[in-house]
Amino acid sequence: MEIPYIVSPRKDTGLFNSKIAIWLFLASEVMLFGGFFSAYVFLRLGADYPWPERTLPVLPGLINTFILIASSVTVVLAWAALKMRQWRKFQIFMGTTIACAAIFMALKAVEYKVKWDHQGVRLNDYAIIEGHLAYYQDGDEKRERNFISIEAESVTFSTSRHHRPWVRDILAQAEQRGATVTLADDIELLKERGGSPEKVASAGDELELGLLSTLKRAHERARANNSGVRTRNLRQQWAEAKSENPGKRGWELTATVDIDRDAIADDLLDEISSVTFDFSQPVRLDFDPRDIREGSSSSRLRDDTVIAGTLLDSPLHLEYVDAIDFQHLVMRAEHRGIDPETAITNSWLYENHEWVREVWAWHQEKVGALEQRLIDDYGLDENDNPRRVPTDKERYRIGWHDLAEKAVSEGRVELSAIDKIKEEFIGPNYAARGQETFPELEIPRDQIHFESKFTPAWNTFYAIYFAITALHGLHVVGGAVVLGYFLFFGRAMYLSNPEWLANRVEVGGLFWHFVDLVWIFVFPILYLM
Amino acid sequence: MSSHEDHHHHDPGFIRKYVFSTDHKVIGIQYGITAGLFLLFGFFLMMVMRWSIAYPHEPLPQWMSWMFTEGWKSKWLVDGKVTGETYNMFGAMHGTIMVFLGIVPLGFGAFGNYVTPLQIGAIDMAFPRLNMLSYWIYLAGGLTMCASFFLESGTAKSGWTNYSPLAGFADGQIVNQWLAGQTQWLIGLVLLITSSLLGSVNVITTIINLRARGLTWMRLPFLVWAMLVTAFLLLLAFPPLEAAGIMQLMDRVFQSSFFMPSGLYTPDGGLANLSGGGSPLLFQHLFWFLGHPEVYVLLLPAIACVAEIIPANTRKPIWGYKSMVYSVIVLGFLSFIVWAHHMYMTGMGPAVSAFFQTTTVLISIPSVIILTALIISLWGGSIRFTPPMIWACAFIPMFGIGGLTGLPLAFNLAGLHLHDTYYVIGHFHYVVAPGILFGLFAGIYHWYPKMTGRYMSSKLSHVHFWPSLICMNILFFPMLMQGMAGFHRRWYNGGDAYLAKDPESVNVFGQTVAQYIDLNILMSWGAWALAVAQIPFLINIVWSLKAGRKVESDNPWDATTLEWATPTPPGHGNFVTEPSVYRGPYEYSRPDHDKDFFPQWETPAKKPAEKPAVEPATANNPQ
Amino acid sequence: MASTPEEIQKSVRSYLIVFGALCVFTVLTVAVATWYPLESLIGGHGFDVWDAIVGLLIATTKATLVAVIFMHLNHEKKAVYWIFAGGLMFAAFMAALIALAFNDPIDDPFFYTEPATTSPATTE
Repeated sequence: MEIPYIVSPRKDTGLFNSKIAIWLFLASEVMLFGGFFSAYVFLRLGADYPWPERTLPVLPGLINTFILIASSVTVVLAWAALKMRQWRKFQIFMGTTIACAAIFMALKAVEYKVKWDHQGVRLNDYAIIEGHLAYYQDGDEKRERNFISIEAESVTFSTSRHHRPWVRDILAQAEQRGATVTLADDIELLKERGGSPEKVASAGDELELGLLSTLKRAHERARANNSGVRTRNLRQQWAEAKSENPGKRGWELTATVDIDRDAIADDLLDEISSVTFDFSQPVRLDFDPRDIREGSSSSRLRDDTVIAGTLLDSPLHLEYVDAIDFQHLVMRAEHRGIDPETAITNSWLYENHEWVREVWAWHQEKVGALEQRLIDDYGLDENDNPRRVPTDKERYRIGWHDLAEKAVSEGRVELSAIDKIKEEFIGPNYAARGQETFPELEIPRDQIHFESKFTPAWNTFYAIYFAITALHGLHVVGGAVVLGYFLFFGRAMYLSNPEWLANRVEVGGLFWHFVDLVWIFVFPILYLM
Repeated sequence: MSSHEDHHHHDPGFIRKYVFSTDHKVIGIQYGITAGLFLLFGFFLMMVMRWSIAYPHEPLPQWMSWMFTEGWKSKWLVDGKVTGETYNMFGAMHGTIMVFLGIVPLGFGAFGNYVTPLQIGAIDMAFPRLNMLSYWIYLAGGLTMCASFFLESGTAKSGWTNYSPLAGFADGQIVNQWLAGQTQWLIGLVLLITSSLLGSVNVITTIINLRARGLTWMRLPFLVWAMLVTAFLLLLAFPPLEAAGIMQLMDRVFQSSFFMPSGLYTPDGGLANLSGGGSPLLFQHLFWFLGHPEVYVLLLPAIACVAEIIPANTRKPIWGYKSMVYSVIVLGFLSFIVWAHHMYMTGMGPAVSAFFQTTTVLISIPSVIILTALIISLWGGSIRFTPPMIWACAFIPMFGIGGLTGLPLAFNLAGLHLHDTYYVIGHFHYVVAPGILFGLFAGIYHWYPKMTGRYMSSKLSHVHFWPSLICMNILFFPMLMQGMAGFHRRWYNGGDAYLAKDPESVNVFGQTVAQYIDLNILMSWGAWALAVAQIPFLINIVWSLKAGRKVESDNPWDATTLEWATPTPPGHGNFVTEPSVYRGPYEYSRPDHDKDFFPQWETPAKKPAEKPAVEPATANNPQ
Repeated sequence: MASTPEEIQKSVRSYLIVFGALCVFTVLTVAVATWYPLESLIGGHGFDVWDAIVGLLIATTKATLVAVIFMHLNHEKKAVYWIFAGGLMFAAFMAALIALAFNDPIDDPFFYTEPATTSPATTE
């Protein structure tokens, strides 16, 4: 007996099984993407910062839209070819569909990579600087100039929580800078009940992961023992307290019941929750800002490692600045009733950097020109107000297109058309446009309110952008895999039961069209709004 | 094995037959056993929690802590006492396990898989391999969640509701966030949702397209309608939670701020290193968008079982079959637009809370119609108190209490007082524990003879039933009282911290707590006794396999639905010959028929002259 | 359900026409959003609710073409249509009710103070 209606439809419903299934699945996918789009709407409407409007480069998104539309046509033409029993045509159209999917994902990968390499910094006054971090060569590795530096004198590790890669890193950095890391004091632990303390390590022993592991084991063993001893004793105390006070309830006795410390003293072993090592000389250690909570005389890593030492100057060093954005600063100023111009001229960036003042002045002129053009094209209304005004983004954000335009207007550098199109995909060509257009900038750590690459962490716009496009991308890959299976392994089924293959291709095609449908909404919503 | 014309006859071997089987019956049993084990584990977690509530300052006794290692205890208990963090961990996992790993897989995965294809006369589900995949993904999700008990961070500990920002920060001290219990919970959840989605697509397609000849929509047993609606609820309600889960996952591992508002400070004293700008309320909306349909996903399979058992044991049709069908469809639809009654305390204004209050009160109507129809079905019946019938009859008042206690919670004003109190815990446990679980137990006792060819022991069933019923009420009724007195949910010390220690104190709340706090001890002993009461059931399941009374026929309950037309147990392909259906699902005690039941599949008696092979229309067999 | 080769040939023609239409609409949506001569016509300069409405209208048109022609909804039984529409309807309910909830907070001053200024992160 075989399951019916796999190939031919059932009479009263008019459908074969997988078609019902795929439409049900698509209904659930509508709810899934609906959930994300709802999130988008509420994050945008409820944002307490200026939402990045039209902030993504449109060209890659536009090309991807054409690619997906094309693949939608080719997949349905592939199905049609199959229904008309034209195997070769099916192969060509299906192959094209999958090729389109691959190109889509490649473009997407380029878009993502550009963002992940791009740095954003929000200052305490909410001015925002964007650009690329400077690098330095550290042995074999290129490291970014964004770290917290501490002149370390000693380091205390948590025996149970230390993160081994970080221990190795501290050791490696110390070694490279000519310091050794040695145990501060002797360690003697009571490891057996009724025994005597055993020397586990001596002052001056070098830091080794093996030693830390030994201490961790000893600590956890002792802790387990001690916890058991105390528990048994406490149970006993409670049992006694209850039998001595038959009528009383637990909460009445709580104050009086406690562990008999003397009785258990002999049964306890030595725990060692942390261990300190000294550096032979104060040595500079660098840490990722996300891993460390820095303090002026001691700092703590996320694995509870404490580094005692002074905090050094740890500026964030941008090699190329390609945008300055005062929108958030202006938004906050306006809430306080401060005029935007004043707020900007009082900002740290403006006050401390000549280049910023110069660019801002040039930009003001440009905005003025735009204002005038809008008045010329659209006129004034009854109250003599211009019908169209520049947006806040145009007023208060200086993006790389503006900086490039400024460079061109000053007679520096002009790129070819091909190079300019490339820039729309991989970002501004810093090398070609030069350091005058995209200058260096060092930002003192205490001016930084928040910094991150352009990842989901940067703001809720990028968070929802990555969430929706990544999920969509996963669906593209999944769909391509299924369609690829039909293309590469479908011949056998074509020869034995072509109508079944046609059904499966149709169902796969329906999924593919849904993926295109989602993108039809994703593109305008995320790229054009 | 039934004799059949299998061309490709082969012995699939033990693994293909019982482990990686695509047969819906095997998969149903797999779901049932796995869910049962998870239910026992979730029960155990609750037992430890109840210790902390009743005896917050006393170390766990030997009999409750022997299964933990000393190392684990040294980390998670302080001198043997349950800490707040441990309590939260157990609490979050108790809820998660019972709902997502226990009741839904048992109701929908086990009963849905086993019974539905049989009752519609199909040889299997529409997509058997997808069905198998659903089970294994469920198992993977469940194990993922439970494995995090062994991580450094422990499991998720922010409630089964997992609200941000707490759920975004909890376990934040773990260096590799992928190894944090909170993160693993989200990963497990994504796997579970995937399993549910695949399962629901399978069930709906099967019901639409694989019904036997003659089995029209209004001849479907109520169980099939219930499973259909349940499947639609799972299909459409889970994805927003999946979206929320993915976003919360991103908040944890990529430091996004979907649900993190600006200006948050972390426990270690600094401003959180996040962009901010997100909305914790957004998570709540997306969570409860699933959360409310989820409770009907819990309920409907249990009501389905009860609706099958009652007619078979009263020897008369269900009263109001049509009303029940329309009600369950309306219930399913309405369940999507009531969710914010879980959010009355979030500062919603009058318009929106009035909207949700209205829909919530409205949704009680189809529920009441269904329950009333079941009650009226008993009237005038020739009731046989078989084990399944006893459990099914207990379901009705217990679920009734659960449902009625939900009414005050439906109103936004009363909800403000009762929200997050023990009243809510009492309400939903009444619905799920003595309600839904009793219905599912009834189902197990009812279909066990079909699955194994033997009845479960009636004596053991009584030993299981009566203590369970009593203990359930001892455990959950006082919760309603404590809740109205103001006891909060998720208090790990049972209210001890709020006690007015001095009887003369002017602390009114403290005095109230003092009045009701001793109920905690009664309830906890009720819970532990309830655990003991399940032992006869476990024994019964195993013992009856070998020593239970054998069934006399393929249709031991003399029931009328299609599953009883199969051999016992049904073999591969289920039916010996392809069944046809000639009448409605509950043709009991028909005056024009010699037996007191007329199964759906029996051909009509051939009378001489003009008789068409179609039954005359009756109340339960409209045409 | 189109099943004979002739019917499929006819469908092929409609697929290609829809492809062309989709390309045109795509160019149109970008132009209306970014090309200076067009973008300030509806609503104001820059992004506002009119741009959102126009963008979503064009997107919905494209989506309808894909659903009805490419996904064969024009041939399918109503049941299928209702399953998909049901999904859309529930998604719409979800969005609408969440919108209602966000836009109807209780009458408490906390919800009406300006955003950002209440953030304690002003001083660091």
